[in-house]
Amino acid sequence: MRNNEQRVLFLGFEALLSPIRLFATSCRVLVFSIVNIRLHGREITNQMFESAVLSLPIILFSLTIVSLMSILEFSWHMKLVLKQDALVPGFSMVLMVREVAPVVTAMLLTSRVGASIAAELGFMKVTEQLDQLKLLSVSEVEYLVIPRWVGCVFASITLTLASLVTSICVSTGIASRFMNYQPHEFFNTLFVFTKAFDLGGGLLKAFCFGTIIPFVSCVCGLSCQGGSRGVGQAATRAVVQSCLFIIFADFFLSYWLWTF
Amino acid sequence: MLKAINKGIEGLGRWAEFSIRVFKTFTSKGVSSTSLVEQMYHVGVRSLPITIVSGLFVGAILAIQINLQLKDFGAQTFLGGLSTSTTLRNLGPVLIAFLLSGRVGAFTSAELGTMAITDQLNAIRCLGMDPVEKIVVPRLVALTCSSFLLLILGLGMTVVGGVVISSAHLGVNPIQFSQNISLFVSSWSIGIGVVKSFLFGLMIGTISCFFGYHTAGGARGVGRAVKRTSVATLVSIILMDFLVSTALESLKTFFEIMANS
Repeated sequence: MRNNEQRVLFLGFEALLSPIRLFATSCRVLVFSIVNIRLHGREITNQMFESAVLSLPIILFSLTIVSLMSILEFSWHMKLVLKQDALVPGFSMVLMVREVAPVVTAMLLTSRVGASIAAELGFMKVTEQLDQLKLLSVSEVEYLVIPRWVGCVFASITLTLASLVTSICVSTGIASRFMNYQPHEFFNTLFVFTKAFDLGGGLLKAFCFGTIIPFVSCVCGLSCQGGSRGVGQAATRAVVQSCLFIIFADFFLSYWLWTF
Repeated sequence: MLKAINKGIEGLGRWAEFSIRVFKTFTSKGVSSTSLVEQMYHVGVRSLPITIVSGLFVGAILAIQINLQLKDFGAQTFLGGLSTSTTLRNLGPVLIAFLLSGRVGAFTSAELGTMAITDQLNAIRCLGMDPVEKIVVPRLVALTCSSFLLLILGLGMTVVGGVVISSAHLGVNPIQFSQNISLFVSSWSIGIGVVKSFLFGLMIGTISCFFGYHTAGGARGVGRAVKRTSVATLVSIILMDFLVSTALESLKTFFEIMANS
């Protein structure tokens, strides 16, 4: 029993450390060999397309519903506290920019992009395609990890912005339909509390989440073992660990950016 | 575009057909208690740490954000009530269910997918038994029950997380925090949280079993099944959240009108 606990603890530490190690390796490859690095341009554009463009419909659909919900809930709470809903647009926009848009986008990206990265790399590992890459002396960090990193960061930032635009449109529509607002009136009060710093913080969050997802998933995929069962486990682990890391990072970033 | 919509609707229909088949098997044949307990352990007990941790952090994050908005108005006395109410009604169940769908749903779909790929389901069929009865039903019942219980535990932990962060760093002590909770959080709000938890559990269970059971195409297929499961559960959780809130709100208005007349 004690042995088992030690093993679990060890595995936990390894799960925490190996994405960081891969991140350090990629940074080293990027920085120290910036002269003779081979950036695989075709791969990078492919990954950008895969993670940003193909996730666009599902993220826009989900964020439409989420922002719809959040504005209705906010007006309910405001009516409870202040007996009026004049401050609803400002408040809900602040929460949207700081919290909801980056986190929900990142969670959806995790399930779409993270799982598919882990499954793809795991499949390559199981079918010994990675060994073939090694034989061809193609670096797996250069060829596999860095394109996914660039694609995922690009996707995370652009999709967060897209979801913000969606949420502005949706909440304007909902407010003018259900809450006796005129659209221009609503739009004017939308940015009362939101500062440029909030938008910057939200985008910084998006950047961090976009970095977390590919590294955690790449580690899970590259360390996959044991046939089809291993591929499934790798994809599962990628989703779970990225979600956990995203929640942790979100907590620390919120605390560091806005509480001080 | 049209093709994609067509395919989506077809998938929805096949999912509904599969769910109905599983429920029919469940009601007619029941479920063996030993395999149910085993699955509950695998799915439920082993997801306890992740649920507790995510609940704590979700509560803390929302308390921080709502505190920032209230601080400018000097209305920090409302912090406890507002953050608890927001978390219980809406954001808490959704965020915790996101994490659980990864832990529980993707796990089950990977396991069932591996069974389908390695012909274990066909082997059960060859032995003259129904794989839905032997494999799927215990998993689905265990998944639904344990996700429901875990979500409620997670919702409880969000309150703890909010109390801890606000007394440690936001300058609101636990007594101030809990004073307003009863003002904002009615039993109706808790009921909304519970109903949502149950439906999220049901969605996670049926969707992950559906994609796992219908896996084809080797190791690549297993990866694809996991990806599809997590995307479909996330979207269905968000959709369910909206539908349940709207339905329960209109039900409440209906009850109020009935009570007044």
